[in-house]
Amino acid sequence: MSGAPEIVVARSEADVADAVRAAMETKTAFEIVSRGSKRAYGRPFAPDAILDVGALSGIVKYEPEELVVIAQAATSLTELEAALAERRQMLGFAPTDWSALFGGQPGAATLAGTVATNACGARRIKAGAVRDHVIGCRFVNGSAEAIKAGGSVIKNVTGFDIPKLMCGAFGTLGVLTELTFRVVPKPARTATLVLNCGTEAGLRALREAAQLPVDPTGLSYLPVRALAASPAARAAHIQNDSGTALIRVEGSKEALDEKLRILRKTFDAFETKTLDDAATQVLFREIGDGGIFVGRPTDIWRLSVAPTEAYAAAELAEAELWYADWAGGLLWLGVDANEETARRLRGISARFSGHVTLMRASADLRSRLAVFELEPPARAALTASVKAAFDPQRLFNPGRMVEGL
Amino acid sequence: MLELLEPDQTVLARRKEIAAAMAAIVPDGTIADEATLTAYDGDALTAYRQAPLVCVLPRSADQVSAVLRYAARENIRVVPRGAGTSLSGGALPAADGILLGLSRMNRIIEIDYENRCVVVQPGVTNASVTRAVEKAGFYYAPDPSSQIACTIGGNVAENSGGIHCLKYGLTTQNLLGVELVLINGERVRLGGKHGGDSGLDLLSVVAGSEGLLGVVTEATLRILPRAPATRTLLIAFANVRDAGDTVAAIIAAGIIPAALEFMDRACIATVEAFCAPGYPEDAEAILIVEVDGMPTEAADEAQRIAEIAASLRATSVHECESAEERARVWSGRKAAFGAMGRLKPDLLCMDGTIPRRALADVLEAIEEMSRKYRLGCCNVFHAGDGNLHPLIVFDVMEPGELERAEEFGADILKLCVAKGGVLTGEHGVGVEKKALMGEMFSDADLRQQERLKCAFDGENLLNPGKVFPTLHACVERGYMRVHDGRMPFPNLPRM
Repeated sequence: MSGAPEIVVARSEADVADAVRAAMETKTAFEIVSRGSKRAYGRPFAPDAILDVGALSGIVKYEPEELVVIAQAATSLTELEAALAERRQMLGFAPTDWSALFGGQPGAATLAGTVATNACGARRIKAGAVRDHVIGCRFVNGSAEAIKAGGSVIKNVTGFDIPKLMCGAFGTLGVLTELTFRVVPKPARTATLVLNCGTEAGLRALREAAQLPVDPTGLSYLPVRALAASPAARAAHIQNDSGTALIRVEGSKEALDEKLRILRKTFDAFETKTLDDAATQVLFREIGDGGIFVGRPTDIWRLSVAPTEAYAAAELAEAELWYADWAGGLLWLGVDANEETARRLRGISARFSGHVTLMRASADLRSRLAVFELEPPARAALTASVKAAFDPQRLFNPGRMVEGL
Repeated sequence: MLELLEPDQTVLARRKEIAAAMAAIVPDGTIADEATLTAYDGDALTAYRQAPLVCVLPRSADQVSAVLRYAARENIRVVPRGAGTSLSGGALPAADGILLGLSRMNRIIEIDYENRCVVVQPGVTNASVTRAVEKAGFYYAPDPSSQIACTIGGNVAENSGGIHCLKYGLTTQNLLGVELVLINGERVRLGGKHGGDSGLDLLSVVAGSEGLLGVVTEATLRILPRAPATRTLLIAFANVRDAGDTVAAIIAAGIIPAALEFMDRACIATVEAFCAPGYPEDAEAILIVEVDGMPTEAADEAQRIAEIAASLRATSVHECESAEERARVWSGRKAAFGAMGRLKPDLLCMDGTIPRRALADVLEAIEEMSRKYRLGCCNVFHAGDGNLHPLIVFDVMEPGELERAEEFGADILKLCVAKGGVLTGEHGVGVEKKALMGEMFSDADLRQQERLKCAFDGENLLNPGKVFPTLHACVERGYMRVHDGRMPFPNLPRM
């Protein structure tokens, strides 16, 4: 094929199935796109055609008293969050919007893209990842069959939990057409205790906070350079020359007072400051969205290790600009990608039994260095078998996660 | 009656040789004499019994790996088993298969408070995880009723729940990683202390896979600090509908209770006679509601729940005043299954989940079915997440009662699905509900699930005859085998 790939527009699940059926005949490999805000995330590949599912948008059924919402897959995340907020509810995994991080206009994220890239923010330490909130889905598989999996009640173990498998699969298993999420009540308010401290002490404080019965919903650490690069930190006047550990708590006014009292007492050796609900929301949205990297040219790696390994991992990573989320379980690293840094970061992840992803870099680098780590042979064979169980002809985003798959 | 898989006579004839092979791998844990094997002939779905060909009780992942490698090579079926407490027949042995019991792999490998997790072997019981960490103020949230006996390996296989799921999740939400042995004997690690994976999230389908995908030999579990305050309310109602409305209103008010349990009149009376937890005897229904969190938070939520219940015609609202009283109230709930055993010798515990709004309608319909099938039925369940547990009591020795009980149960589950719910909330499909899978899934849906099974176990050797209505060969379901990690169409240009 030459020139720009053809664009196939699907306006319904039936359209998607028709497109896939045709693709099976012609062996057409699709790049699946809704609003395309995260197209630069994952390994570059050369599709024969683009399957545009952006029209599959809109809330299908929202039942606040059942804590469940069903929406078409390409529904805008902003639209869904607004509808939930009207009933004082939200998606518990704190969805992130990475549109700006990849150079687009903020607000372009869709539900399918959020699911496909497992885009969850700081609340993961309490509420889990995207997959813990997707309770059902519909999708078209690589045999052009429209499939339903999961259900629309929270407690369900009927059949394999395929909706969860779709999370973080980068659209390689099926074309999502409808998603069912569980939702949670929005907390009455939030607050953040800010501790001024260096990296090692700050990361230790986060782990200590995680063991307190204050149910923290955000445990992040911003080193000095990250503070300086953060508009939210500037607005909240929390810049300093040591770095800050951030402990977010939620609840009624009285509960927040109790939680903050416990935290201040535990961390009385530190210089502290408390952020109100508004400042907390802005700051943690920025942390989830990778906001400090927006508009900065650096490549980005996300390294995941056990929280106790975070300090050693961060030291070894030698990133100019970086920060930690999930009590240290996630490090956002601004490290320019090349063979040497790839080897170094993958070495760190191997040493600490974690994993590392090259989140943002040029297409050439992502292609050359790979985005995801190489899986051990037994695991890689399993991944290939699972791919074949859903998309035997490799019609969906082939090569976006792993070369040849 | 359900039909069990037809055993392969040629395999049955090889018992001695297979037992010898197992004894070579696990010399001190192979059972092959028929008398001892009857101790392993089933699980908590008591109506079905079938002894395995041979039972093997490994002590290490290496032994598990060797057993599976042998089974794959010799094409022998394998049924994994934890404590045998499955209510859906998940651990029912295959007559021509190896029963792989993991109960001797019962070590807690590591307690890691700083990373808020524990690493355990699969045979560790659910309750012993909490017991190991409670001195430090931690606990493991999933708490199925069978928690003193059931094992973590079984919990992972069944994605077990309990009374605290609505707020704290099922097993899958509290499982950070596993080591899984595949049918070919290879060991893979999925997830870990860091949580999540790069690459496909295979851990998410292993949880709740009912032993069909692999054998868990190690699990990393999330532990949580115990909330500082807990309050428990016992609320009585003059009819079921008011109780159901109260459940819906509590959730609609933005409160997620730690537990929200329902019992109907038949259940209250039986439990009261059994262990006298002090339930209001004239009530048609009671709710046990527990909230936890910071002291002010728990107090405020308890207060709001009491007001909601009163406004929805609760006949009494009582808050437990001491830890002893709270324990007594919960003892009745936890003893409910045992207490039912006094009514009739056999019990069928159903497990459908429904949208909360349908609670009252479904309970009324169950009462009608109970009359139609002339069998007693009590309702005790997790109302907060709409997870019903109608307990049908019958006597398997009375001609026709088992058949009537099974039809009754099937009708309940069909109704759950018709109301927008599902067949099973936490007990699994097993053998018990496999014939009903078609109520919820189309043939294409099921084919997709079976192909996922094939990706892990292409010869259907692991826990065969469970979950899916019919045992199909993988090729019949359109699964194309992958060799050496290469896709079926490797030469298509895909950059």
